[in-house]
Amino acid sequence: MWLKDRTMQRKSKNLKSQLFKVGFFFLIVGILVFISTPLRKLKEEVFEEMRLAIFQLNINETNNTTINNVNTENLEVTSENTEQAEANDKKANYSYIGELSIPKIKLRRGFVSKESRYNNIEYNITVANEANYPDVPLGNFILMAHSGNAYISFFDKLYKLQIGDEASVSYNAVTYNYRLTNIYNQAKTGTVAIYRNPNVKTLTLITCTHNDDYNQTIYIFEEI
Amino acid sequence: MDLSIIEKLITFITLPFQSFLTIEILLIFLLILIFLIYNEKRQNKKVKYAITALIIFFFSLLAFYFSEDIITVLSEIVKTIMRCFYFPNIVFYILTAIISLVILIYTILKNNLTKLNKIITYVLTLIHLYLFTNFISLAITNNTSLTNTANIYQHDNMFIIVLFSQIIFIILILYKAIYHFCYIRHSKLKNTK
Repeated sequence: MWLKDRTMQRKSKNLKSQLFKVGFFFLIVGILVFISTPLRKLKEEVFEEMRLAIFQLNINETNNTTINNVNTENLEVTSENTEQAEANDKKANYSYIGELSIPKIKLRRGFVSKESRYNNIEYNITVANEANYPDVPLGNFILMAHSGNAYISFFDKLYKLQIGDEASVSYNAVTYNYRLTNIYNQAKTGTVAIYRNPNVKTLTLITCTHNDDYNQTIYIFEEI
Repeated sequence: MDLSIIEKLITFITLPFQSFLTIEILLIFLLILIFLIYNEKRQNKKVKYAITALIIFFFSLLAFYFSEDIITVLSEIVKTIMRCFYFPNIVFYILTAIISLVILIYTILKNNLTKLNKIITYVLTLIHLYLFTNFISLAITNNTSLTNTANIYQHDNMFIIVLFSQIIFIILILYKAIYHFCYIRHSKLKNTK
């Protein structure tokens, strides 16, 4: 009888211990699943900081370069030069050509050229095909990105912006400063109508409306 | 920042009496301290649990009021750890190499370690040091200045070397920590038997 009790006790202890282990395992898995998205976002931020640091480094190197006595006789293009240029071009597509900065929401993010395969909403802030680069007089520089909770939601805090907030774009070693002048929503139909002053250089940011699955918000900035 | 020692001391002493909130905080902490000291004599279980609950409640309240700041601080801590892992600066990287070197020398000289433990440590530390040496030689051949972190990581091969050596270093530290934990537990069990 006593032996039976002891065996029963041991069995229930083992069962409890096993249940505890299984519970602990599921708890760890749950925590990992729960923190995976924020961790990916933080990782993306850390990588972004480094990409921007490399971008700034390259800008400084470009600024320090001086061109003297350009010899126009050797401008003939050989096949070897073309191959090298293509290789360089491929490599250049991986790096940023400019940077968007909005101090109010602590947004600092680079963008690649329109031709780059990384000019895609799944990788970066995307430069719209219809956009003019910031150095074009009276042009409209259009950028698009996701908003939401994913780690690629680069415009997740745009909804906090108010009229009068400032943004800047660094491009070709020149910084262009803008001020927010208009915010409006449009239904998600696949196209966006941009209402802007054609006599001023503008920056347009497009993203999904905060907590709204059917609309997109357009932020119009004018150059200061 | 440019205060004298006496000014620093006076500021430190007057700090808890600057506002009603600071006095309140001081009183709460004093109360907890008095209860804890008094309970060391009485050994009352109820007081123990009550104080633990009070401390948890107090810090939960703080966490609730400053939740946004706490999240920002936690994010910064995680980001700093990630920076140290993915893009360590040269000082941190050299420090990991020194730790690895110390572990290697300790393992060579220590006699009472098991053979398996020694072999695993040799393999991990030597791979780590080999990658570090490779990194230095790459920096010399690429003529890379190591003072600027961005300068290092614009070269993909250097980034890969650092990434793998960090992984090896973490495995080494985890292995050592788990081994020592198990070793201490094992020896404790032996002693109790």
